[in-house]
Amino acid sequence: MMFTDKKLLAHLDKMLEDGINGTFSESVYDETQLSKLESKWLRYLTSSKLSAQKTAQERKKLQELVSDISHQTKTPLSNILLYTQLLQEQDIDEQSRQLVDEIRQQSEKLEFLIQSLVKTSRLETGTFQLAPLENNIDRMIESVIEQITPKAESKQIKIMYSSQSHTAKFDIKWTQEALFNILDNAVKYSPRNSVIKITVDAYEMFACVSVADQGIGIPAEELPCIFRRFYRGQNVREQNGVGIGLYLCRQIIEGQSGYITAESNGKGAVFKIFLPK
Amino acid sequence: MEVLKTEALTKIYGEGESKVTALDNANLSVRQGEFAAIVGTSGSGKSTLLHMLGGLDRPTSGKVYVEGKDIFTLKDEALTIFRRRKIGFVFQSFNLVPTLNVYENIVFPIQLDGNDVDDKFVNEVIGILGLADMQNRLPNQLSGGQQQRVAIARALAAKPAIVLADEPTGNLDSKTSQDVLSLLKVTGQKFSQTIVMITHNEAIAQMADRIIRIEDGHIIKGGEPND
Repeated sequence: MMFTDKKLLAHLDKMLEDGINGTFSESVYDETQLSKLESKWLRYLTSSKLSAQKTAQERKKLQELVSDISHQTKTPLSNILLYTQLLQEQDIDEQSRQLVDEIRQQSEKLEFLIQSLVKTSRLETGTFQLAPLENNIDRMIESVIEQITPKAESKQIKIMYSSQSHTAKFDIKWTQEALFNILDNAVKYSPRNSVIKITVDAYEMFACVSVADQGIGIPAEELPCIFRRFYRGQNVREQNGVGIGLYLCRQIIEGQSGYITAESNGKGAVFKIFLPK
Repeated sequence: MEVLKTEALTKIYGEGESKVTALDNANLSVRQGEFAAIVGTSGSGKSTLLHMLGGLDRPTSGKVYVEGKDIFTLKDEALTIFRRRKIGFVFQSFNLVPTLNVYENIVFPIQLDGNDVDDKFVNEVIGILGLADMQNRLPNQLSGGQQQRVAIARALAAKPAIVLADEPTGNLDSKTSQDVLSLLKVTGQKFSQTIVMITHNEAIAQMADRIIRIEDGHIIKGGEPND
């Protein structure tokens, strides 16, 4: 088959276009260079497809492994927590009580870690899908405040929020979880008798939920790192934590086309969650 | 993967007594998908740096690599084509074509390059930027914020290696600025688009994953990615 340069280029362009669209099939079978090229192109496309299939299979295996880990660790962990509770109810000396309390704290930490890892993994692999819908932000915030209030009250921390009627597109359940993690941190790192302020600002395309605390703040050099998995700041080493909460928050918010930022000027920290409208 | 890299980039304007070193031995690198902000006061050399990164001006010495290509080895015409394919620009002054409607402005660089428009992708970009209902409007029928959203869509539509944004909110009020920056951030995340933004405003720079500080033509902080 003979081609002029122009015709040859048009043919090659069509080969590429069909390759991109997944509709390529060989059109000539003869001894020409073009026929060999078509055959080679198809071989390349097939091997790319095979490697994509292999990646999908590996991803599926990983999902199964994560699901197994989460399922199989749940019962023993609940049992450890149960027996620890029973032990706490026993008449034991002060030193043993302290040790038992340590076991309880570490087990709760492990439970949170496993749960969060399972959630992040399921979000990453697409097992859990976020379903952002137009929702009222107020109601979401109020329900999170309700959840965190006992913990805040135990430190005499006041949560200030005056309700405004704004809406945005978000997945209620998951966004509540992200906001809860942010508030939980705010309570954890705030001194007793302090105030946590929640505000909502609406823009044309986004709505922003800000959580400002009067806690220990975040050093400027750590701000770019705090949303990474297992990152823990220098000044929070003494507090209980595993460094997964903020990572999960970012995944949840970014997964619904929003984003999250952190600011700190030395006097507390401000976390902002931007949700699309 | 490194998308953008400079090596000892230097720009000197004038000669003899009137010689000014606008950029002195600047080394920086930006990874695929990063949102980096170059921050400096006016006269710090940030605009000179951006012009070099975008191949809009040639350096006195030093190199700029985009996707591994040493861009100043290209002759002017080739550099123009390279720029059109690999770099999306967002300027302070929007720079939309007044006689083309929103959709036509967005796909203009793609058509200029003789390529077919990837409709699925372009429509997704248009949707995220909230432009779906105004595709047939002319730029003068849009607000400043909306015009800048069209400029962002235009920069993204050709799937460039880098989007360079030069004071993208310089002409906008603070509320509209927040939206435009949010959209830059979100589209960057969504499409793993590498974005380099220059600004003199600290608060705006905080939106980025990394801040590159420039002072008197020297990069004083943040030239390399955070680990």
